[in-house]
Amino acid sequence: MTKHPARPLSRNEAIKEESRFLRGTLTEGLSRAETGALSEDDTQLTKFHGIYQQDDRDLRAERGKKRMEKAFIFMARLRIPGGVMTPAQWLALEAVAQERGNGTLRLTTRETIQFHGIIKSNLRPAIQAINAALLDTVAACGDVNRNVIAATIPYRPAAHGTVAALARAISAHMRPRTGAYHEIWLDGEKIAGDEEEAEPIYGRAYLPRKFKIAIAVPPLNDVDVFAHDLGFIAIEEDGRIVGYDVVAGGGMGMTHGEPDTFPRTGDVIGFCRPEQVIEVAEKAVIVQRDWGNRASRKHARLKYTIEEFGLDWFRAELERELGYPLQTPRDFRFERSADPHGWIEGDDGLWHHVLFIENGRVRDMPGHQLLSGLHEIASVHRGNFVLTANQNLIISGVTLEQKPAIGALLAQHGLDRPVSGLRRGAMACVALPTCGLALAESERYMPDLLTTLEEILERHGLAADEITIRMTGCPNGCARPYLAEIGLVGRGPGTYNLYLGGAFDGTRMNKLYARDVTHDGIIAALEPLFSAYARERADSEHFSDFVIRAGYVKPTTAGNRFHADLSPELS
Amino acid sequence: MQSLPLLPETAPFPADQIAALNRIMGNATAEQRAWLGGFLAGHQAANLAQPAPAPARKVGLTILYATESGNAEALAGAARKSASRLGFAARTVDMADTTPAEIARAENLLILASTWGEGDPPERATDFMRALLAEDAPRFDKTRFAVLALGDRAYVNFCQTGRQIDERLAALGGRRVTDRIECDLDYDADAAAWLDRALHEIAPEPEGAAVIHVDFARAATEAPSRQAPFDAEITEHVNLNGSRSSTRTVHLELSVAGAALAYEPGDAIGVVPSNDPALVEQVLHAAGLAGDNDLHTALRERYDITTLTRPQVAAYAALTQDATLGALANDEAALAAFMAGRQVIDLLDAASHRLTEAQLTSLLRPLPPRLYSVASSRKATPDEAHLLVAAVEYDAHGRQRKGVASMDVIERRKAGGSLRLYLKPNPHFRLPADPDRPVIMVGPGTGVAPFRGFMQERDAIGAKGKNWLFFGGRNFTHDFLYQLEWQDLLKRGVLSRLDVAFSRDQRGKIYVQHRMWEARDELFGWLRDGAALYVCGDAKAMAKDVHATLLRIAAEQGGMAPEAAEVWLGELRRAGRYLRDVY
Repeated sequence: MTKHPARPLSRNEAIKEESRFLRGTLTEGLSRAETGALSEDDTQLTKFHGIYQQDDRDLRAERGKKRMEKAFIFMARLRIPGGVMTPAQWLALEAVAQERGNGTLRLTTRETIQFHGIIKSNLRPAIQAINAALLDTVAACGDVNRNVIAATIPYRPAAHGTVAALARAISAHMRPRTGAYHEIWLDGEKIAGDEEEAEPIYGRAYLPRKFKIAIAVPPLNDVDVFAHDLGFIAIEEDGRIVGYDVVAGGGMGMTHGEPDTFPRTGDVIGFCRPEQVIEVAEKAVIVQRDWGNRASRKHARLKYTIEEFGLDWFRAELERELGYPLQTPRDFRFERSADPHGWIEGDDGLWHHVLFIENGRVRDMPGHQLLSGLHEIASVHRGNFVLTANQNLIISGVTLEQKPAIGALLAQHGLDRPVSGLRRGAMACVALPTCGLALAESERYMPDLLTTLEEILERHGLAADEITIRMTGCPNGCARPYLAEIGLVGRGPGTYNLYLGGAFDGTRMNKLYARDVTHDGIIAALEPLFSAYARERADSEHFSDFVIRAGYVKPTTAGNRFHADLSPELS
Repeated sequence: MQSLPLLPETAPFPADQIAALNRIMGNATAEQRAWLGGFLAGHQAANLAQPAPAPARKVGLTILYATESGNAEALAGAARKSASRLGFAARTVDMADTTPAEIARAENLLILASTWGEGDPPERATDFMRALLAEDAPRFDKTRFAVLALGDRAYVNFCQTGRQIDERLAALGGRRVTDRIECDLDYDADAAAWLDRALHEIAPEPEGAAVIHVDFARAATEAPSRQAPFDAEITEHVNLNGSRSSTRTVHLELSVAGAALAYEPGDAIGVVPSNDPALVEQVLHAAGLAGDNDLHTALRERYDITTLTRPQVAAYAALTQDATLGALANDEAALAAFMAGRQVIDLLDAASHRLTEAQLTSLLRPLPPRLYSVASSRKATPDEAHLLVAAVEYDAHGRQRKGVASMDVIERRKAGGSLRLYLKPNPHFRLPADPDRPVIMVGPGTGVAPFRGFMQERDAIGAKGKNWLFFGGRNFTHDFLYQLEWQDLLKRGVLSRLDVAFSRDQRGKIYVQHRMWEARDELFGWLRDGAALYVCGDAKAMAKDVHATLLRIAAEQGGMAPEAAEVWLGELRRAGRYLRDVY
């Protein structure tokens, strides 16, 4: 029973409670041939199985006239802890996209892959094909611990191996125990056994809201360790990871016009040894399970629990569950949140190619054959593929002998073209037409905006400079726009809020600079800033640091001060 | 005030009488005209009530018909009426309901037989034809007969069924009273002349008896007909396929208020189309004609300027003296190869020649109407008829081809416009008379049209019988015709079950027959419980596959040997519980 006093509980709580561990009426709903949709309650449950019911919003206007229901389609998101997969798995997933989805794969901002456009009759075959590739979609969405992400650091294979293994271990430990997934999607049979099913960590009602965990290895903050409910920052001594600083209370989502909702960067609350990480993660989840707000889903993330009861309270509660105190945090230093790029030699002599994938969308375009190129590379590559939290893909573990062959395949498919610093560090969420939350375009608009901005940067001699820019179609923050140097968040069709000043290393959120701007407004707002930056910046000063120093925006000085210190005309 | 002439020049009076009548009627008041109209109608009715002049003794006459789309059946009915008025004791017999042995007892026999597709007998007549052509067929020594064969010259084996019957009856000892006629699409006048001739040969009218000429063109009722279609307003015109579909299917709602269009669900609506004006221009250009307004109108409204027939190739070869075409017309194999996928315009282009107007129109057949299953019930929408029209578009021999009626409706008609139509009853495809009888409907694509009417009807009358629909198309998302309506019917329990098959949603094609097979246990159970099964849609593949699947289901579920399964399905068909409307 929840210890948070807020009542009445949200509708989702009853749905979860009564779902018989995430079964609901899904099996029956899947067999109903007249509709491409599931029942409303069941669509809440599919999320726990990694599946979102959506509809093609481009088609909404015509459907009623044509006497057809909405064009329902499903998004299925994989659980790939640490983003590490084999080329053979990649090929299997590509086949799923071709045969059951919309023919594309979408790399997400949390080191996994999602399929779009799967119609209901293809859901089971898709999940079964994924299962055959030894992957699953369990808990990729829903009020549970989601995919655990880890630093991809291609140049440090040993450290990467350690954190990737840790991500897998956390994910396995926190995986829901219900047999519903197997029963509904795989063999249709109820798993034998009379013993009462139980969720030892989650319980019958699971968590109040989603829970995200990330592991970073300084100086690279590719996972945006402060943006998740729980973060672990690897602390190394003599090239060995001796433990992790623990970060709690990060989270990106907010709602426009509701100032008691806000993105928040997590706080460092202590240090733990490597063997304590899983326990710390489990107990943090349990504290949030019991104390999170189950009445309002807009206030149900850990960040609000911490804001409500205090950081000290949370640390104490966590330590009480652990039965021991966390140690004093150690020092760390981040340099960047964007991925490195191109060929990188690891300290083990193997090579790694960080392949830029615009918006994470893998498909063939004229002169830029991502899907075909990766197909051919996966067919010959003997290392791994590693998905990054910046929507890119690392062809990892290439021997010196194999490197020319991979390089040739990249060139053949137009995948070795130079990309500007701005575009390399850009991220956009999916938004229209599939995401039900989108208020504005994101993935479909971002490339064109970048082209315009690139021309301006070029004029000011800034073409090679790295500037992080991120866009989302709604304020829920999937692409972590509040941690970019330039953040754009959809407000309505064609209009965005423009945020500036997020730190290049992901340690500081940005600040609202202009409200409700259109494409032209974005250009008009940024052009003079780029111009001033080109003229006035200090040595190696990042764009975000410059706009703060020059007084365009105030810095967001703490995780809970996103809405504070706005310029007078905006507040 | 100078009035316009009332009677057209074509009125059945001598010219001076037309002029005289126009003089009188042109100046008559509305009241005078109304009185005269009533007087003449009453007078006529009184005269018709007189018994018709009869031959000395009643001559028995059997009118046997083999019908697919209902043309032969309608002709047979009209022939029976005419023969009765001449005093014959005439009866009509559907080939589906009889055997050669029974028919061999008839002394006077008229046969009206349609040929279907590439020379096949109508499906309902297959058993009869098999028996007639079998070695042990009965003798027809005492039978006098005449055959009217219906067909379409666009197909090879034109009038094949009628020919077979004609030759077979003669071989079995029957005496032909008049030569067989073979009718193309425009058969009214020829058929009337043939009937006159045949009846005269069978029983010459006694002296002094009034001669009643048969006129098939004039229907007994005032209902719109093929010759006098009703101009219906299009009140809704919407493509039901999604904008990303590979096909288009237009749902049409037509206002038929004021027309005597008493259709039943399952009936067809005949649509009188207009040709594509762009194609009219191409044909005129190919014939080297500019053409005046009248010719343009005629080619657009009256002539078939697409379908190519064998006689046309021969006629055009003769006209142009083109050696290549001439050789082609005389080489069946080469001709068949040439005709495959070609149309009139291709023939004209094959040998360039300047034609006169008369030469061009003499080459062309009349523009036939097209039949569409009505997709509504009058009980749901009393003054409307709904149609479902699928686009026919393809490329052949370097040209884009468009279905005459379908693309007329889809591309050139819109809501607010009109469409000429008439009723084409389909008495062999009706809901069971018993509202409690369960119904299974198999209708992928536009085959679903009559079943929408069926469900509206059963919903409106509160029929208790269960209803099961198998629907199919290419893609679930874009091709689920009437999806929201089926959902509503399911929710309200009118539709008991819906199974869908979308062929292109996955790598392996899934069709309705696959869904039937998956549900074979229940499906056979429904049939055992007396369900009537309807199949509507594509004849070439779907209906054949569904038929084969039914045989498999009977074999597996009913433990029947293959022959027994055939017999079982034949019995279902004869009992009116396995009905097909396929095209």
